[in-house]
Amino acid sequence: MGNIRDIKSRIGSIRNTRQITNAMKMVAAAKLRKAQQGIIKARPYADNINHMLATIKFKSRETDLKIFVQPEPTAKCALVVVTADRGLCGSFNSFVIKAALQYLKDHPNTDLFCIGKKGTDIFKKKDVKIIKSYTGLFNEMNFSVSLDIASDLKHHFFSNEYDHIEVIYNEFKSVIQQNIVQKQVLPIPDIKVLEGVSLLDYLYEPGEEEVIEELTNKYINVEIWRILLESSAAEQGTRMTAMDSATDNASDLIESLTLQYNMVRQAAITNEIIEIASGAEAQNQ
Amino acid sequence: MEKLKLLIIQPQKIFLETEFDDIIIPGKDGDFGVFYGHTPFISVIRPGILEIYNNSEVTKCAIHDGYVTVENNIVTILCEVVEKADEIDKTRAEAAKERAEKRIKSNQDEVDFRRAEIALRKAIARIAIS
Repeated sequence: MGNIRDIKSRIGSIRNTRQITNAMKMVAAAKLRKAQQGIIKARPYADNINHMLATIKFKSRETDLKIFVQPEPTAKCALVVVTADRGLCGSFNSFVIKAALQYLKDHPNTDLFCIGKKGTDIFKKKDVKIIKSYTGLFNEMNFSVSLDIASDLKHHFFSNEYDHIEVIYNEFKSVIQQNIVQKQVLPIPDIKVLEGVSLLDYLYEPGEEEVIEELTNKYINVEIWRILLESSAAEQGTRMTAMDSATDNASDLIESLTLQYNMVRQAAITNEIIEIASGAEAQNQ
Repeated sequence: MEKLKLLIIQPQKIFLETEFDDIIIPGKDGDFGVFYGHTPFISVIRPGILEIYNNSEVTKCAIHDGYVTVENNIVTILCEVVEKADEIDKTRAEAAKERAEKRIKSNQDEVDFRRAEIALRKAIARIAIS
């Protein structure tokens, strides 16, 4: 049993920690709500573009365009890993990094792009070469942050540096469930045409190729944006659950320490009474 | 006259959902109008002014990019940047216009020139409706 003062100061410091984890939980919950709304709001735009691309691909004569040709398994690949800028979010970063390392091992002909400070730090520590890293995006989430990444990737892809671009990220399922997802962004994967959708013959202006180019541009931008939103929502979700259990743990710890504190205090008082009583007894004799 | 439906969608939100009689869209190959009964159509948009006529009202927006589809009397515009008059910061647009003009005059390589030209068009569209 420890010293009574030690226990008291421990209770105090745990109480402070609990306050912090609780506050972080609240903040994560608020940010999560924002990211979730972002995902819902991006849906009509993304769905429309996917639908248009599917339609055009179905109708198009330009099926040999680079964006439609599926890559060989050994083709040169750019892998984009989406991590968080901050820690304290459970297994969020470590799982996605593990998946990325596995991919790099299986596909040696791959270059790494990293989004998020945590991933950048860890890959550097592990001596994995990063072509480019993007950090500090998640503080201020707006659409323009995805444009820089998208334009870099487009540039690399269309200058034939890479044959395909894969992204590994955390997909948001629910607050307690996140899935690691690997997704091919370019070339455009086979898109399913929604049932009941008309496949009309359109007039193209200026020309089919220009329309496809513009659509592809928009498609990549919104795809990256969606991935960032998903990852951000997943990050806040894991942080929320991690901080929730941290707060619970702190409460449990405080409870058991308080019990211990009371026992030590009681013991001290009993000791004192025994001393006084035995002192008085001695004087009486 | 029968009305058409208009949907302007941005990545962050649905910008506008309305009915209208006539619309003027700045297409890449020139402005064009869409009336009721237009044939199915896809066009790429260049930076310019979007004019939506409904009854006798006109709504003008500055639009920067995107593409438009016309299908079954529904006009869908997908774009990353579109603004109504009250959302535009005129002084910023004027500054952007000056910058773009300077860049065009300094006559650098072709890529820069084209970028400056697009920036200039965007700025002019913004100033025109604000």
